[in-house]
Amino acid sequence: MYKEKIEKILPSVQKPARYIGGEHGSVVKDKNKVSVRFAFCFPDTYDVGMSHLGMKILYGLKNAVEDYWCERVFQPEPDYEQKMREEGILLYGLESLEPIKDFDFIGFTLQYELSYTNVLNMLDLAGVPLHARDRKDLSPIVVGGGPCVCNPEPLADFFDLFILGEGEKVNLELMELYKAMKQKGAGKEEFLLSAAKIEGVYVPGFYDFEYNSDGTVRSCIPNRNGVPKSVKKRVIEDYDKVYYPDNFVVPFTKIVHDRAVVEVLRGCIRGCRFCQAGFIYRPFREKSIDTIKRNTEDLCKSTGYEEVSLSSLSTSDHTQINELLSELVDYTKEEQISLSLPSLRVDNFSEDVLEKISTVRKSGLTFAPEAGTQRLRDVINKNVSEEEIMRSCKIAFEGGYTSVKLYFMLGLPTETMEDIEGMADTAHKIIDLFYSIPKEKRGKGSVSVSISCATFVPKPFTPFEFEPQATRQEIIDKQEHLISCLKTRKIKASWHDYNVSLLEAALARGDRRLGAVIEEAWRRGCKMDSWDEYFKPDVWWRTFDDLDIDPEFYACRKRDYSEVFAWDHLDYMVSKSFFIRENKLAYQAKTTPNCKEKCSGCGIKKECGGVYCGGK
Amino acid sequence: MEENRFDRRITFSKYDRAVFISHLDLMRTMQRAFKRADLPIWYTQGFNPHAYIMFPLALSLGISSDVEIMDASLTEDITCDDVTKRLNSALPTGLKIIKTALPVNKHTAIKKAEYEIILSAAQRDFNEFISREKIEIKKKTKKSSEKLIDIKPDIELLGINTKDEEISICVRLPAGCGLNINPSVLLEAFSEFTGKVYTAKISRTRILDNNGEEYR
Repeated sequence: MYKEKIEKILPSVQKPARYIGGEHGSVVKDKNKVSVRFAFCFPDTYDVGMSHLGMKILYGLKNAVEDYWCERVFQPEPDYEQKMREEGILLYGLESLEPIKDFDFIGFTLQYELSYTNVLNMLDLAGVPLHARDRKDLSPIVVGGGPCVCNPEPLADFFDLFILGEGEKVNLELMELYKAMKQKGAGKEEFLLSAAKIEGVYVPGFYDFEYNSDGTVRSCIPNRNGVPKSVKKRVIEDYDKVYYPDNFVVPFTKIVHDRAVVEVLRGCIRGCRFCQAGFIYRPFREKSIDTIKRNTEDLCKSTGYEEVSLSSLSTSDHTQINELLSELVDYTKEEQISLSLPSLRVDNFSEDVLEKISTVRKSGLTFAPEAGTQRLRDVINKNVSEEEIMRSCKIAFEGGYTSVKLYFMLGLPTETMEDIEGMADTAHKIIDLFYSIPKEKRGKGSVSVSISCATFVPKPFTPFEFEPQATRQEIIDKQEHLISCLKTRKIKASWHDYNVSLLEAALARGDRRLGAVIEEAWRRGCKMDSWDEYFKPDVWWRTFDDLDIDPEFYACRKRDYSEVFAWDHLDYMVSKSFFIRENKLAYQAKTTPNCKEKCSGCGIKKECGGVYCGGK
Repeated sequence: MEENRFDRRITFSKYDRAVFISHLDLMRTMQRAFKRADLPIWYTQGFNPHAYIMFPLALSLGISSDVEIMDASLTEDITCDDVTKRLNSALPTGLKIIKTALPVNKHTAIKKAEYEIILSAAQRDFNEFISREKIEIKKKTKKSSEKLIDIKPDIELLGINTKDEEISICVRLPAGCGLNINPSVLLEAFSEFTGKVYTAKISRTRILDNNGEEYR
């Protein structure tokens, strides 16, 4: 019945194959034979969400349990959403084509702040009350996970619970608990009270915030007995043995990352001071070559993909990267599959590794020095030197590459115009380097360097969580200065809209009072904020203004070490005192060695399974 | 014919959820199915080699069919039955191989296709529509202007039945690399004639060659 309604409107929308499921690898079960149904929602379009590895892992994990059925749900493109609303079609799961309001769980993965309005939009499109307090029944339970959950307070009003950290175990524990509670006829309050006792589960409704007269947080205190004061994230200790899917849903339409993906390691040893991922996913753990090889072969066979990509925060930090690559290349060559390695770092980008990849596929060369001078790179603890960039570029140019992309950030702490000039210098030096190589030895034609500048967004759980974001005028001045320093057309510079960065910064370090802003902005038509063509900064800023909330209070204010943060009751195992120590070192432009060289005592315990966390 | 190239003509059906797979997406979907089925595809030998899988007659989005044709070349002499079996185990729901054979006709031999169109409409209305002297449709020309063309001479009405609230129309239309008329064009003209909007279930039932026989 629902299916027929959907099929009737599909011919009139763009790329309808995204809205009807049925892809190879999608899991269809008999709903009468399962006891818990989970709607896994990615709050962005199919093309983006289907590229997300976390969803593939948790989808496979849950469906591997006979009794559970997990379905996929995405934010429809505006043309389809409009038709759905006109025809009264509620948001549905792609497997059963049934409304998700009748499911047991509605789960959102929160990957970036600019997807928050889509969360509200999807709940509304599903016919589910937005506020947790208005959902009285046991089901649906609205849950959230993913990196943004390290400060979920701006969304606290809308969620029943959040899952902190890695989901492979806690998701199943939660579903098991739910199943038992449902069978005995428990209510929502009883379920949430038990759920709050599972490690990694945070029930925002069980905590009350108080604020100081200056607007900062005074305290966050549990309002129920038996609820932990601080909620600790979950970590998979035996990472090499953790569940990994041996099949993916293979989309019909082209998606952003349309390939097999194999995860090779989790966490990062580097400790770049601006990088949230580098701290919240600690400790560094890796998979064995055998496991990676098995996952690669299983996935390529079962999906029919002709491209496989290795996924991690920094693939070249795998302790056996060379053996790993040579074994994988042997397999992929034999099977005519191409191998791509998106996260190679400049500083251990060896000739060996380059040769290995170049035998398979030649793509553009990207470096992320992040800052223009060695001084500022020391401030942010990005241990990349200009010599290393030049060495890598030389090898690459001699190997036939002719274009280089450089990623930088604007508005880093302590940044001056000299650092901006440094970006241009680096680009000019790369151009000169290209022409210093004899014609017959370098790639054909001209060289091009593109500089891509993001505005630095201070994030929770980083040494820069205390830092103000640069103001609009500071960023504009720096952009103009950079342009004035570029002497050749072979260098092109581009940047992101400051409005996006400011909103991201406000939401990232926001508190519960921002829930009203998100809701009102959505009611006034904001959604798909990460899409340039849909982003409405004017509406956002007017909404902030009308509700008498200042985004710059959250984004551009220097915070004291003693300030209580909206995320202080969440424990990501890296201590605040470590962040304070790192922040002070940043101002002295002193670097901190990576975990491999020396333990810097970030707070991660040795029992978490980290390769370098031996407690030595 | 090159060495190590084994041509197969595969007849398949496209129904249920799979009717929403576009022509381009179907190409990719089939290519991956071959890979999953461990059927070695022959690659074209040009400057930019690509897997040789092709569909001589495209099917519009939303139309189901039991008579779709896909030509594929393999690098190994795998039997027709084996190809059918292996592909069927690798295809998503709504795509099913009916048979695999060796190709007989050239692609240019395709001349007509037959369709069954089911919609809620009065048979009287349709009869009146179809018995007009001219049935004109707007066609975009290359200069981006529109011109009217009469498709009446190209329509062969094979039968029309009323069942409950619906009528079922069987029609034969020109198809292939010459003139090609999509059944939805006929529906649009009908819709314009009555001033009503129809949602129809359309399926392709036959593909015919220049002798009016089943294309093989």
